[in-house]
Amino acid sequence: MSTPHGINFGEAPARTRVDQLRRTLGRRTEGRAVALLAVVLVVALVMEPLVFSAYPVTLSRVALVGLVALGLTVVILMGELDLSVASTVVLAGVMMAQTDNVALGVLLALGTGVAVGLVNAFFVVKVGINSFIATLGMLFVLKGLAIVISRSEPIPLENITFAIQFGLPIVGPLTPRIVIFVLAFVLLHLFLTRMRAGREFYAVGGNRQAARDAGIPVDRRLVTGFVMCSVIAAGAGAIDTLERTAADPTAGSTVLLSSFAAAIIGGVALTGGRGSILGTLIGAFSLGTLEVGLTLTGVQVDIQQIYIGGVLLLAVMTDPASLRAARSSLRTSLHGVRARSTDRGLT
Amino acid sequence: MRSTRTAAAVMTLLFAASALSACGSDSASSASGDGTKVYALLPQGTDQPYGTEYLKAMNAEAEKEGLDLTITNSQYDADKQASDCQVAVAAKPDLIILWPAVADTVRPCLERAKAAGIPVTVTNSDVKEEDKSLTAGYSGPDTYGQGAASAEIMCELADGKDINILQVEGLTGNTTAINRKAGFEETIDENCPNVKIIASQPGDWNKDDSQTVTSEMLTAAGAKNIQGIYAADDTMVAGAIDALKSQGLDVKKMLITSIGNTKLGNPLVVNGELDGTVFQSSAWDGQNAVTLAAKVLDGEEVDEDLFMPSVKVTEANASDAEVTPNW
Repeated sequence: MSTPHGINFGEAPARTRVDQLRRTLGRRTEGRAVALLAVVLVVALVMEPLVFSAYPVTLSRVALVGLVALGLTVVILMGELDLSVASTVVLAGVMMAQTDNVALGVLLALGTGVAVGLVNAFFVVKVGINSFIATLGMLFVLKGLAIVISRSEPIPLENITFAIQFGLPIVGPLTPRIVIFVLAFVLLHLFLTRMRAGREFYAVGGNRQAARDAGIPVDRRLVTGFVMCSVIAAGAGAIDTLERTAADPTAGSTVLLSSFAAAIIGGVALTGGRGSILGTLIGAFSLGTLEVGLTLTGVQVDIQQIYIGGVLLLAVMTDPASLRAARSSLRTSLHGVRARSTDRGLT
Repeated sequence: MRSTRTAAAVMTLLFAASALSACGSDSASSASGDGTKVYALLPQGTDQPYGTEYLKAMNAEAEKEGLDLTITNSQYDADKQASDCQVAVAAKPDLIILWPAVADTVRPCLERAKAAGIPVTVTNSDVKEEDKSLTAGYSGPDTYGQGAASAEIMCELADGKDINILQVEGLTGNTTAINRKAGFEETIDENCPNVKIIASQPGDWNKDDSQTVTSEMLTAAGAKNIQGIYAADDTMVAGAIDALKSQGLDVKKMLITSIGNTKLGNPLVVNGELDGTVFQSSAWDGQNAVTLAAKVLDGEEVDEDLFMPSVKVTEANASDAEVTPNW
């Protein structure tokens, strides 16, 4: 066997299908999310089959948090954070309610998203502030803006009939929210796996210096990522506002943590460079199904939070990197104990 | 390494399994009734003092009525409540009890329930006037009546003498704030025109804001010209009393009323600084949410709102058992 250049490097290791499959699976980051989803689905099937018979509800709960989580994944893949997503959701909704025209309102909302993304990127890329701090600041600024603009009161939409219509299914059980969610997933997945610019996001998150050396326009990618994240959050804000027929400056308080949780359970590494949109989707599904299952059976929200927090911690703990660290620290301490005991034996 | 990972994965699975099986057993224990399923969509629960007492009373009454009650808590997130409402409608209960997180946003929820043929009763704070036709009834505080009761205490205290008072209102635009203000002002006009409200400012349900606006009003009107204060709740009256004290006024000589009889307000009545307040009982609220639901389930036509009695609390009865503050 020879390479295209005619140089023989010797026999390539025999590759069976199983080997190939194992290799492909080994590269995937979604394992934990899949396992969790399987358990949630099986237990739900036994305990609360309603989760399935009422699947449109489960789907819309997944889409509620999932959309924001998809956008967030793009930023996390680059090794950055965006804590301002939930506030962006709220501000976009409030901006949308400023006009009686729904189409114009949606444009205003998305425009707000672009602006927020650019400001976030400006602080992180140009000023060089850590994205945790920069977007934490934006979290408060945007929330305050939303409250000031709305005079801390819910703003009902002018066109309530359309808004109520928007919350109803269009095809089968699919509401516009679910359709948009699926579309966003497909587009982002294609962008991150098939397009050069998207694949470079991984390089930016994996090793930024190497990415810079390889000629990747790191700053431009960062700006794109932050804008994408904010625009998606703003879109989610517009959808929320339509579905509840009013913009509410206090809504969305539970979105931030759930969307981060979905991404982390989905195997997206907070250090950047590892993870996938598919993982976030599965993470959102497991989390959404768990939440709906717990709500259907009437578990108090405080207890639900304990479970979700527990699942999140386990997801982080079972990350291969943290396991390796735990194992080596365990070994070191064991080593120390053994060494000491032999010392004592000598004296 | 591999074994650690497997072990951790197994732990995750067991944990998730226990999460769902735990909820399975929860519902089994509460399904002691005759299978009448009721969902209660609340915006608070054990995370707030009011909600904690409300829930206790609600659960006790549900057990008495034999209802299988499932309770959600949206933590005042309107989106979460909308989603909870979808879940509730999908579960096809016999009735839904709704405490709106934000009254402006409950219309889609009411429409959904109506389409599924599930009656909805409202508790604690009512839906907007145009949505009332979609609901089967309301139980909760009579916010107008509370303002009126506080005004009646003020009139008795004034005893026909000409006095000037200040008003500290609730959050601007809030339905409860608007109703209490109307109830207080209209009753004063009617029963004792000798009492004059010479200044009025919103304290936003908040002690610090109330203290600030009271100080400003005292300065603007001249502290000597003021003989009394009405604040729309106990938290704000505590702020107003602090403002009076810091201007060196004798609080006990002034006529002060509010609404709430909370664990903050009741001791102020007992020690004589607050002359009167109106009891808002979270236990009554939770209990009657279920009472009303049971009535609707029995096919009773509920035309009128089921209002919480606005019990006046003054120094004379502040230590009685029936007005022991519960939040």
